[in-house]
Amino acid sequence: MFEARTGENNTTYLSGRLDASQVPAAAAVLEKITTSAVIDFADLEYISSAGIGELLAVLKRLSDLGLSLKLVNLSKHIRDVFGYAGLDKVFVIE
Amino acid sequence: MAHHKQFPRNIAVLDQVFEFVNRYLSDQGISGEAAYSVDLAVEEIFTNLVKYNRGGNDIDIELECENAVLTVKLRDHDVDRFDITEVAAVDTTLPLSERKPGGLGLHMVRQAMDEIEYSYIDRTSTITMRKHLEK
Repeated sequence: MFEARTGENNTTYLSGRLDASQVPAAAAVLEKITTSAVIDFADLEYISSAGIGELLAVLKRLSDLGLSLKLVNLSKHIRDVFGYAGLDKVFVIE
Repeated sequence: MAHHKQFPRNIAVLDQVFEFVNRYLSDQGISGEAAYSVDLAVEEIFTNLVKYNRGGNDIDIELECENAVLTVKLRDHDVDRFDITEVAAVDTTLPLSERKPGGLGLHMVRQAMDEIEYSYIDRTSTITMRKHLEK
């Protein structure tokens, strides 16, 4: 089960498991982000390269517009996965 | 004893794949970082086989835990040779503007698992991965 929703303060909340089969559901929400934004991982249990690729596309799109993207509340395992790809230095992670 | 099951070549069955893998991991008392790594490795290799191999056969997934080593095998029958261990490493030092998502999954598998091997016999590709479990 995966869910993405955008709430107040330009924050998008991800929850559940974001595997390759759930990328279209994530993209439908993430593609609507048009301002500097925060993505909250507090309820996200799992992410693979497919989901990270989607987040990378959002980061590139916002950066090209001079906007920022911040990832918050990552679990240790998810933070490790970003580290595997060297993306802990590409994304702003708090 | 090895635990195996066949899955249709379709990303839509990933939830069934995870259910199969996680039931075995749970039975073996494997959780935390090791369980995440195995989920990640199975998903990345399974989706890679779905995307790049054109065979019409199901994909076999086999799990076995022995002497604190978890072995995962994915077998793809009647396909052309494609050795994923020969795929070039991703340069993880590149800035955002030069980053591309391709190859990221295999790179993450190499980091998450301790060993990865490829064999190609009688038109069957077998990817074998091992995770050494903390005692």
